[in-house]
Amino acid sequence: MKSGSKIKVKTAKREYEGILMPRSELADEAHIVLKLSSGYNIGILKKDIVKTETLSEKAGKPKPNTVKFDKSKPAISLVSTGGTITSKVDYKTGGVFPYTKPEELLADIPELGKYVQVKAIKQPFSLLSEDMSSLEWAKIAKEVCSELNSGAEGVIVTHGTDTLHYTAAALSFMLQDLSKPVAVIGAQRSTDRGSFDGALNLVCGAHYCLSDIAEVSIVMHGSTEDKHCIANRGTKTRKMHSSRRDAFRPINELPLAQIFSDGNTVILNPEHKKRSNSKVKLDDKFEEKVALVYSYPGSDPKILDTYVKNGYKGIILAGTGFGHVSTQPIEKKFSWLPAIKNAVKSGVFIGATTQTFYGTTDPYVYSAGRLMLDSGVVFLKDMLPETAYIKLGWVLGHTKKLEEVEKLMLKNMAGEISERIDPKAFLY
Amino acid sequence: MDYKKLGLKIGLEIHQQLDTEKLFCNCPSNLSEGEPDSIIRRKLHAVAGEMGDIDPAALQAYTKDRTYVYKFYRNSACLLELDEEPPRRLNPEALETVLKIALMLDSKVMDELHVMRKTVIDGSNTSGFQRTSLIAVDGSLQFNGLKIKIPTICLEEDAARIVQAKEKEVTYNLDRLGIPLIEIATSPDIQSPEQARDVAKAIGSIIRATGKAKRGIGTIRQDLNISIKGGARVELKGVQDLNSIPKVLENEIKRQQSEKEVKEETRKVLPDCTSKYMRPLPGASRMYPETDLPPIVITANKLSELKKNLPKLPWEQIKDLEKKYSLSTELASTLYNSAYFEYFEKLVKDVRVEPKIIASTFTSTLKSLPESEIELSYEHYRDLFKALDSGKFSKEAIAQVLESWLNQPDKKLDELVKGLGLKGVSKGDLEKLIEKIVVDNKKLIEERGERAIQPLMGLVMKEVRGKADGKLVMEILRNKVK
Repeated sequence: MKSGSKIKVKTAKREYEGILMPRSELADEAHIVLKLSSGYNIGILKKDIVKTETLSEKAGKPKPNTVKFDKSKPAISLVSTGGTITSKVDYKTGGVFPYTKPEELLADIPELGKYVQVKAIKQPFSLLSEDMSSLEWAKIAKEVCSELNSGAEGVIVTHGTDTLHYTAAALSFMLQDLSKPVAVIGAQRSTDRGSFDGALNLVCGAHYCLSDIAEVSIVMHGSTEDKHCIANRGTKTRKMHSSRRDAFRPINELPLAQIFSDGNTVILNPEHKKRSNSKVKLDDKFEEKVALVYSYPGSDPKILDTYVKNGYKGIILAGTGFGHVSTQPIEKKFSWLPAIKNAVKSGVFIGATTQTFYGTTDPYVYSAGRLMLDSGVVFLKDMLPETAYIKLGWVLGHTKKLEEVEKLMLKNMAGEISERIDPKAFLY
Repeated sequence: MDYKKLGLKIGLEIHQQLDTEKLFCNCPSNLSEGEPDSIIRRKLHAVAGEMGDIDPAALQAYTKDRTYVYKFYRNSACLLELDEEPPRRLNPEALETVLKIALMLDSKVMDELHVMRKTVIDGSNTSGFQRTSLIAVDGSLQFNGLKIKIPTICLEEDAARIVQAKEKEVTYNLDRLGIPLIEIATSPDIQSPEQARDVAKAIGSIIRATGKAKRGIGTIRQDLNISIKGGARVELKGVQDLNSIPKVLENEIKRQQSEKEVKEETRKVLPDCTSKYMRPLPGASRMYPETDLPPIVITANKLSELKKNLPKLPWEQIKDLEKKYSLSTELASTLYNSAYFEYFEKLVKDVRVEPKIIASTFTSTLKSLPESEIELSYEHYRDLFKALDSGKFSKEAIAQVLESWLNQPDKKLDELVKGLGLKGVSKGDLEKLIEKIVVDNKKLIEERGERAIQPLMGLVMKEVRGKADGKLVMEILRNKVK
């Protein structure tokens, strides 16, 4: 029996009629699921079933949509990578499928058509964002670059929220000479529900794409209300809550702008690249063998040796406080200094960031920092651990010479380093 | 009205809140008032139904393009009610309660329960849907010789409470959102408005028999489905008071008879028992799986465990009361449904007073007193009956004592009784008194014999009312007259 077909099921006590539903991964093998005419799904124990009869094959297909965009509106493009935001739920099966045609998106978010025409939807792949790697970032950058250079005023990248900030950081480095807005957008609630936060995110993202801000930004809810979104610089943002719609917060700086659904945009941080006519260059070189390592009390520094032995070229440490690791413990085995010295001697770049996320690293305030500095660690100012990891992979894609790598890591290329930190930025 | 001729068909749908934590989180099921901890403004988005259509009821709400304003109190809501967190689990206490009720109603519990999302975009659910699950089917209620079919029993979350509705803005209180509701639906087997009320009462009492029904205004809502020949099915939503069910139905019958064309629709019941149009009847295309929760298997073992510990049906519990405490059916029934039933059950263990007396104190004596805002505590009643038992006053004085105590609840009982001049008459004194009256009325006794006892009783009681037990007086008098 195929799921989607209307069937009749007979048990010893009763008869049921409904549409056969597919079985979810969370469920056991002992039951089948039927959707009753009331709409309710029920599970029936297979071993109680005496007889089944197929009444009709696949009852009904979803109606195709015929809405089109207005060609007089400014054009943006959409690069879809998967994730909740551009998935439609098949109400019959509960299965989730990506949008493929711009018209499908407009049908579900008609407000978009008031402001823009979506001239193309590209879909280089469809993945849960936790399954992505540098291979995917390069593919996304390629599509974005191509669209920006072929008439799109700006590009929206739709993405799963889990690692959205990693991709936003990667794009910030892979899109050189960026002259137009790129909005990376996700949704924390599913498209099937009335409270779908992606609708506002996409509308505000469309406005962002028409703005003067030539940066890769993450555009998501600014608060738990549906009042506005904030555009946060891609290199300075983190997912700070597992489920809230306003999970994405800027770290160490204010958002670039607040954006309202009617297009009203309030610039909060004027330090950004401005729109221009220059061609965007794709630079997707990336050294895959980079790692991000947390240090914590009792952690074993031999993890660095493992990476070095396996040919890793760069390691970002997410240290405590000012970027510290253990340097003067009572039990010598907990000191990271030997492993760090060994790595640096082997030509592996070691950079320090802080696992507090907020605030800046500093090698001079405490002895731990000075000892680390002497061992060859490069302190990376206030760069986020995730951003530093991405940047390091990108830099190492260009050069392996430690002095060059250090120079490039400390050069502020896409706003990843804050020259000054606004006190209002903390827990914004 | 000849209901049969009208082809009257009535179905009932009861929603009763359960007195447990909320259905999908660990918040208490409390209502909150006063200044909210925060106010959140949201918009809702129209969603296509299962077949790719937009659900007509959903579209109607959406086209109004409103802002929904939510009042959030941290003692009654959390991230889940703000639609900022996935549901945690289906509350096992609530589920067990519904399973018990399903068994008491002789229904078939589903082998595997699936929680569904039911699209709702009037803003009363922050997520844009209500979580609901079909628990059992094919139940029935034997009622006055009639079998009322109960096709479905569901467990679902209650919606947010509406505070204010303006044209472009609706305000809700999130306190009620997520409180568990049991939904019991009957087939349109009900044949008259009075019967509808009685069936509603019966179903309500079955739910209360589990001890997990929330009490108070707004904790139970009744929806009615009604159709007459030549008409259409109309849903009347939100009858809160059982006793107004007959009037609501009669008004609706009159309305349907006076309309040229009766449309299928959902109507809202108003305080004056009329109704007004609310929205089109919802279609079936609004439900799809709640994929954040795994399905729940209900094993045969689980059901047989529950069957062993089912609370007795209300009428069975009442019969038990009658037998155990020698109460009349009427007294047992009134007592069972009274708010003082718990006190009664404790008192019969704590004091040595005839249960009948305790029962009628609650069911009739209290009611006969002038209304008071004061509620006496269990200890008050226990002391009262203890004093009665030790002869401090007689049962005829109970009303007097209670009325006085309600005005001065902090006064000690001994003082109160003294103040009322109710100190009891000793048996010796009583005998002397009765002796005297018998002697004084010798002539009457010779004339009328046994029939003189009544008037003599009156004379004695005039002297000792409240201070001696009437039964005892009768006993002594009888003996003396003999």
